[in-house]
Amino acid sequence: MGGGARRPLFFVTNLAPATSEETRPSVRPGSLAIAGKGGEGRAPRRAASRRRNAFSSSFARRYGHLLFAAPALLVFLSFIVYPTLEAFYLSLFDWKGVGKNFNFIGLGNFQTALSSWPLYRAALNNLVFFVVILAFQHTVGLLIAVQLNARPRFMQVYRTILFLPVVLSLIATGFIWTLILSPNIGLLNPALRAVGLGFLARSWLSDTTFALPVVILVQAWNVLGWAVIIYLAGLQNIPEELAQAAEIDGATKWQTFRRVTFPLLSPSFTSLTVLTFIQIFRVFDVVYVLTGPVGAPAGRTDVLGTLVYRTAFGVGGLSANDARMSYAIAISVIIFIVMAAVSAALIWLLRRREVEA
Amino acid sequence: MRSGFSKSALVGACLACLAWPAQAADQVTLTFWHNHPEWKERVQKILDKFEAANPGIHIQLEEIPGPDYSPKMNTALAAGEAPDIIELRPGPEVRAAEEAGYIVELTGKVDTSNVTKSGLDAAQIDGKLWAVPMLGEYTVGLYYHKDVFAQNGWTPPKTADELLKLCPVIKAKGIAPMIAPSQDGVIPSFLYALAASSILGADGLAAVRRGERKLTDPDVLKASKFLQDLYPCFEDGAIGTAYVEGKALFALGKGAMMEGGSADYAGFTTTNPKVNLGVVPFPALEGGKGSTVTGMEGVFAINSQTKGKDAALKFLNWMLGNEPAQMVVDTITLSTNKNVTPSNNETMKEMVEASKVNDVRVWYEYPEVGSVFTVAGNNAQALFLKEMTPEQFAAALQASVDPKAK
Repeated sequence: MGGGARRPLFFVTNLAPATSEETRPSVRPGSLAIAGKGGEGRAPRRAASRRRNAFSSSFARRYGHLLFAAPALLVFLSFIVYPTLEAFYLSLFDWKGVGKNFNFIGLGNFQTALSSWPLYRAALNNLVFFVVILAFQHTVGLLIAVQLNARPRFMQVYRTILFLPVVLSLIATGFIWTLILSPNIGLLNPALRAVGLGFLARSWLSDTTFALPVVILVQAWNVLGWAVIIYLAGLQNIPEELAQAAEIDGATKWQTFRRVTFPLLSPSFTSLTVLTFIQIFRVFDVVYVLTGPVGAPAGRTDVLGTLVYRTAFGVGGLSANDARMSYAIAISVIIFIVMAAVSAALIWLLRRREVEA
Repeated sequence: MRSGFSKSALVGACLACLAWPAQAADQVTLTFWHNHPEWKERVQKILDKFEAANPGIHIQLEEIPGPDYSPKMNTALAAGEAPDIIELRPGPEVRAAEEAGYIVELTGKVDTSNVTKSGLDAAQIDGKLWAVPMLGEYTVGLYYHKDVFAQNGWTPPKTADELLKLCPVIKAKGIAPMIAPSQDGVIPSFLYALAASSILGADGLAAVRRGERKLTDPDVLKASKFLQDLYPCFEDGAIGTAYVEGKALFALGKGAMMEGGSADYAGFTTTNPKVNLGVVPFPALEGGKGSTVTGMEGVFAINSQTKGKDAALKFLNWMLGNEPAQMVVDTITLSTNKNVTPSNNETMKEMVEASKVNDVRVWYEYPEVGSVFTVAGNNAQALFLKEMTPEQFAAALQASVDPKAK
């Protein structure tokens, strides 16, 4: 009697209260062993009088939760999906961004973009950027997270300080970096000279060899917080017993880390990798603030973000006649498609190697 | 009974509150965007004078940094959120705004009897007036620190050769010979325009615009070569220095010379009130004359969607008068009003003198050569670093010249 024993657990997917036709899974103390059986007799009479409302139907039970998501979904559709679709549409014209001259040119913008060298040069810079930052996040970030996981004194303070660059506006902090790096009024060169490293002093952001490394360094300083937080969360989810068990079995700290901890961090590894990929291929502020919209010096720090900005709005605010909005949108669409494909591939690849604790 | 009374009292109070703004509605507020934050106080003084003479009209000024101005304005125009008074660059920008219906035609509605010929040229399209120049024009020449030059017994260079010979001499004294912040390409574009204008003059530029002369011709090619030769004269890290930082460096005396416009002078004195600057035309290239280029500091149009059209017209007409023009020329930059001259500013007087030698309209105001500025800015760094030859540079510029553009 009573299907209570086979009743599924009462999860979030089923928000509507049980109707009088069903038994409610019993949650009263002492009745767990006979789930569903004990309360049957008394509940239905009261249930019948209270539950004649909109949530009675089985449709509402199964899909009622979507109503809760509707407002956010509406915002998402209006502000993200609709403009994206409109952008796809605009990229098929030759609109300059000013005035109302629209001529349909189909995929002309895409052809031009895919055969233009600056696009590939910028993409290559993004790739170098990504590889370096990724290596940095997964080594330095992980190391710091491991240290913090050992709960040293002032752990909260360190964590806050490390995450602060993420929170502060890069436009403001980037501007301060340009002042530090300036060969005329900066702090870095005098500091190097003061400790006898004067031969290293140079015009950092104008140097064709060092400009991109310096920009990458500033970005690394800015995003280190993400790696620390993500890895720290991952580490705190690993049960201590596993590491202790390995220790009892005679594993060294390094072996424990390599064989037990790190494999269990693979969800964090996945999240961080995908996050970094998207962050770095979208990078704009750090480059714009440090080296300007032209990707000084001579395109060494030009990235896809500055390329699109420059193409969409013209350079230096003087030549709106050189704005090419539709062409810039086409470049953005290309970037979007490539990034979506690579992100999907990354997630699929990395998920396969994830291990559940 | 009591709740009924308090309810109607509440309703009455609400109605009174709603009626209150209606009384204040006699005051018209016009929004006004401008692209020179460093002039904010001086422009505000002019606006205050206008408001004192015209109570009931309030002008809300917003200053946006130069390089960000065009993107912000174009986006606002497309979104229908542009201010009541719109500042545009003369030439193609005004035409685009007019064709898109963003601005009101002003022919016959404003009194332009005080405006100089070049000022009117900049504001008209096909004989009709769409915008007015009212916050000045700028002339670009070569600034130099009078005290530094006097102390060392140097004279400001009159020819390109003299300039190149002077550079190592100045460097030996630990001063940067020329400050040229090149991060966003604007200064190198102007340097090119000055060098090429030295050879072409106004007539030569008109010939380029018609397609009769080319920027790759052997004589004009000298301008590209000179730009490359000029690079060693720049300060350390010029390629990575932003325009604003460069101006501050010059004002503080870290460089001996800087190519700059009359509009930059206000910024120099704000950074360093003691600065003592002289102006000369840009040095003459071989076979050419010393040159200056002149452009409008924007022209001002009325948003076709504004609710205060009459107030806006009043404002523009007032700004075209002599009183505000005198304030502009005394405190900000040169004016397009033919009745005023700088009354107390020696440096600006020298700028006016310099422009009498060989003054050419700034290239980006002409649709045929408008793109030359952008191409020059995009490629100058490669030219400086010798990754591009002067011939390649000139060829890229010439490729962007379009005699058929409107």
